[in-house]
Amino acid sequence: MGANDDGFEALLEPFYNGKKLTDPISTKEDKYQLLPAFLKVKGLVKQHIDSYNYFVEEDIKKIVQSNRMIRSDQDPNFWIEITDIRVGMPTRDDANELRDAGKHVTPQECRLRDLNYSAPVFIDIAYPRDRMRVVRKNLALCRMPVMLKSSKCYLSGANNRKMQEMQECPLDPGGYFIVGGTEKVILIQEQLSKNRVIVEKDDKGVTASVTSSTHERKSKTYVALRKDRIVLQHNILMEPIPIIIVLKAFGGMSDYDIMELVAGGDTVYQDDLLMSFDEATKAGVYTQQQALEYIGLRVKMGGARKGRTFGGPRRNPIDDGLDALTNLIIAHITIKDSDFYPKAIYIAMMVRRVLMASHNEKLVDDRDFVGNKRLELAGQLLSLLFEDLFKGFVATLKQQMEYFFKRPNRTAAYDPTGSIGVNGRGITQGLTRAIQSGNWTVKRFGMARAGVTHVLSRLSYIAALGMMTRISSQFEKTRKVSGPRALQPSQWGMLCTSDTPEGEACGLVKNLALMTHITTEAGTDAVEELIPNLISGVERIQTQTGTEMHKEGSYIIHVNGTPYALTRRPEAFAKAFKQKRRSGCVSAFVGIHINQHFSAIHIATDEGRICRPYIIVTNGKSTLKAEHLRLLQLGKVGFEDFLRNGVIEYLDVNEENDALIAISEDDITPAHTHMEIEPFTILGAVAGLIPFPHHNQSPRNTYQCAMGKQAIGAIAYNQFNRIDTLLYTSLYPQRPMVITKTIQLIHYDKLPAGQNATVVVMSYSGYDIEDALVLNKASLDRGFGACQVFRKYSVEMQKYRSGRKDRLGGPMIGEDGKPIAKHRCLDKDGLAIVGSKICQGETMILRETPVDQEAHVDGSRGSDEYRPAPVNYRIADPAIIDKVMISDTERNSQIIKVQTRQTRRPELGDKFSSRHGQKGVVGTIVEHEDMPFSDTGLVPDIIMNPHGFPSRMTVGKLFECLTGKAAVVSGHRELGFGDAFRSHPVEEMGRTLIENGFEWGGKDYFTSGITGEPHEAYLFNGPIFYQRLKHMVQDKMHSRSRGPRAVLTRQPTEGRSRDGGLRLGEMERDCLIAYGASQLLLERLMISSDATQVDICEQCGQLGYKGYCQTCKGHGKVTKMTMPYAAKLLVQELISMNVGVRMQIEDKFPDPEPALPMRPKKSVHA
Amino acid sequence: MSGTYQPPNTSSRDDIKEGNVIYYTCGDCAVRVPLEPSAPIRCQKCGARVLYKERTKRMVQFEAR
Repeated sequence: MGANDDGFEALLEPFYNGKKLTDPISTKEDKYQLLPAFLKVKGLVKQHIDSYNYFVEEDIKKIVQSNRMIRSDQDPNFWIEITDIRVGMPTRDDANELRDAGKHVTPQECRLRDLNYSAPVFIDIAYPRDRMRVVRKNLALCRMPVMLKSSKCYLSGANNRKMQEMQECPLDPGGYFIVGGTEKVILIQEQLSKNRVIVEKDDKGVTASVTSSTHERKSKTYVALRKDRIVLQHNILMEPIPIIIVLKAFGGMSDYDIMELVAGGDTVYQDDLLMSFDEATKAGVYTQQQALEYIGLRVKMGGARKGRTFGGPRRNPIDDGLDALTNLIIAHITIKDSDFYPKAIYIAMMVRRVLMASHNEKLVDDRDFVGNKRLELAGQLLSLLFEDLFKGFVATLKQQMEYFFKRPNRTAAYDPTGSIGVNGRGITQGLTRAIQSGNWTVKRFGMARAGVTHVLSRLSYIAALGMMTRISSQFEKTRKVSGPRALQPSQWGMLCTSDTPEGEACGLVKNLALMTHITTEAGTDAVEELIPNLISGVERIQTQTGTEMHKEGSYIIHVNGTPYALTRRPEAFAKAFKQKRRSGCVSAFVGIHINQHFSAIHIATDEGRICRPYIIVTNGKSTLKAEHLRLLQLGKVGFEDFLRNGVIEYLDVNEENDALIAISEDDITPAHTHMEIEPFTILGAVAGLIPFPHHNQSPRNTYQCAMGKQAIGAIAYNQFNRIDTLLYTSLYPQRPMVITKTIQLIHYDKLPAGQNATVVVMSYSGYDIEDALVLNKASLDRGFGACQVFRKYSVEMQKYRSGRKDRLGGPMIGEDGKPIAKHRCLDKDGLAIVGSKICQGETMILRETPVDQEAHVDGSRGSDEYRPAPVNYRIADPAIIDKVMISDTERNSQIIKVQTRQTRRPELGDKFSSRHGQKGVVGTIVEHEDMPFSDTGLVPDIIMNPHGFPSRMTVGKLFECLTGKAAVVSGHRELGFGDAFRSHPVEEMGRTLIENGFEWGGKDYFTSGITGEPHEAYLFNGPIFYQRLKHMVQDKMHSRSRGPRAVLTRQPTEGRSRDGGLRLGEMERDCLIAYGASQLLLERLMISSDATQVDICEQCGQLGYKGYCQTCKGHGKVTKMTMPYAAKLLVQELISMNVGVRMQIEDKFPDPEPALPMRPKKSVHA
Repeated sequence: MSGTYQPPNTSSRDDIKEGNVIYYTCGDCAVRVPLEPSAPIRCQKCGARVLYKERTKRMVQFEAR
């Protein structure tokens, strides 16, 4: 076993899957072995880790680099320079225990003790003192939350043994944070790409827009065609500005130059643009000065420029215009040496795109195209936040510095070291709070996003893994548009086709496919250096005029969407560029593609692009040879080596469009450029659990993706050491009989969630209608579906301002000398006895709170009394105390966690599902002897109703059954594979079955267990992997006859947890009204709910009290009536708002005698 | 539930506090740690801060269905 075993070793072993080292290698069959090699270095959760690593190792340094100088305005000779920043390894941050502070901390300790898994961040600074440069190194700035398995985590590179020592599961994916003991994931965020032009068409016309994103600001610039006039729009401009005025304002261009820059030689576009020239003439703008003035007058005051103009004199409009053009409009194009030409080219390009789209609708961009999207990962989001917080830190530091220098008589030289740690605390808090709450607020971008982080779902291993690959979209869920929700063809291979939730988030929440990688920033310097020297005839765009740019056959080379150079040999350029990339001169994640419509070559080096590796095909032959795989099997080479040697390369979504990709080696023709590594990787990790998914109706696979996350199984190897709020584990999980390669790759076979049940498909008893299952009682006795439920009850011993603390009390002793019933389970330390059975209402933690909690200013002591505040067990079904943990938190307060355990066997109504979206509840549990049995003595665990098949069309389930059966009867588990797009097993499996004395179709003779007669038909039977889902009757069962009522309305409470009633809602009420069941209605709405007796004055219609009317000052007309308390409350609430309410009362059923109505007040009067 | 709730009597608690040590198990080194109430939670041997309560010595019987 290698030093760094991450579970992939078995797959790369020479004897893997029955293959020996000497066996012949077929590149066709064995190329999938690249997949484990890939997953070793990239893919699944590695994107999170890569992104975080990039942030803590490189990006953080860049951020500090750009904010390094802090200069004093008061004393021009003083400055602070931050020379370097480093993130250390995670340490304890105990406040009072100096023994522990600074020591290594494991993630598991953080989980148990509710700590933050974070590392100190150090900075080096330099500042002048007595004309000397003082350098201070390793000053603690703040603490950075550490992503598990990142380069700053102790788990990275740990082998199984080390993982075990740290009480960590070696199969844990990592990629999340631990904040306050809870595991938090920063979900992948999907966004429209930044700094790229997107052309769209709506009712008003065509618009080209670009979101400029720089470190300083984020803004959006529009170039729109409105009624044949082209205008430029921006947030800081009060009104749209005619485009010609903008182009004129850049200067240095004649009208002819502008025309050429936009339209080139095309007369149609020239004519279109001519209309816009009129606008400029109408506005009287002929020169650059006039244009700048025109723009300057329309720049909004305040807003972005509020701070800058403060105090200073009002600048003239020309300066305003110049400033807007330089720094605000398309801000991502930086101006060097007052040369506006690049910006003019960019605007002209946008105008040209608008004109092109107005003539040809096909040239409008597709927002939903995956190539136009970028995925934002944890590292990027943290980087945004950190930069904001760091700028805030620098600002406060400067403020304090200025305050010091303002003082007239300073006693000592200024020393900034002290204030760094203090001010850095703001950064720590900002980062922690953002991850804890999920609210991302970056002031400088006006960004305020909620729900960025989520608690890592640990329901099952698959749930946790599925969460790590989840992508949430920024589109609002309420919009009823189908576009963003629909499956996009460009999602192929990048995003899982099956794994998306049903209902409101359908299609908006996506999941990564198995081989997807998300790029990190590669940097443009190397690329920009390469471009002019790659092939001959590549010219920098700055030296070119519009005429040359738009000449037939000229291609503009864009770097990250910005025009950079010009070539007339695009194919040769792209080929040469790809060659350079394959040889490793350029990062493997730089993408290049040719857009024929716009005569453009696009080179992308930005972060967040989705890409995927392919085998390179040249001259109709795959470059992957048998010897490559041989070396891989021997462990001599890895995936990175193939990348370097030009066997494999990454293609992003845009570049895929330039490639012809063969699915298998047989399909390769001379035209092909690439080959798939393995077709089943178009599915994600969760969909990869399904055997034969290509034989199922597609929604069934989607259903399974949702249910696989609810299956009860093993969560992690350390599942009994971690104290989760709620933990479901299976007692006897089994590896599925029929697995897929994905299952092996994600190690579902090591942490499975389900059992192989012997299923017979037949109708039985009538308790199996509507997908209900019939279960064998003997199977349950043997432990089928048995599971354990663990629950956490946690208490932190608070400290109060009075200096008192919560404490634990001792159990109360009854008259018989034993603890009272409620304290039966308590030990003398006030905590539950480990191993004891706890029932409803009994105390687990006997906490006592001081009555006196507030601080005393006068120095008095306050009450010494303590009030009990126990934690009781509230669930009706008893449980066993499994574990009682005590520890300290960072704030040095005691924390107590009690874990309870229940062992549950399946009961009527518990939910089960196979892996094909076929869920059902237990309909009946049948004695073993009443079950059908075969001639071999086989008795099923589950009987499934055959009506489940025709409409669902889950043929994959039949195949799973057949394949599993063949594998079982032959004893060859390598038969049990059900990979997507691989095999069609019926014939081979049929043969195996026949060889072992079974019928080829999987149907066998069965005898009825009830009558003892043979069944009239042969029954289809075999092993099917069944998952027990977390929905269990015990947790949902609820009834109430009488019970608690809400205080305000006096109506019954709501919900099972409050022993609530079942609501007779509006629609039910409507039914009863329509039917005329008035007495039932009266009972449901009044008597069984909030009926109340009120006194009402017949005279004034207002509420009285004890037979007396306040308004009429008399008992005379006050009468009693019954009404809902809620109605009475409404009346009183209206009165409280100064809305008078009068109730007119009449007798629906007057007494036959005309005498006065029989009322109590009558008797009073008499 | 036998007996009504009585306010905790302080006299009985003081008996508990005096010398009544409860044994805990260290989460790291599995050593037995005697701990008095209000003593800092820490393993005397390895200094670990996570302690677990020992399992009861009483007989526990489960219904094995």
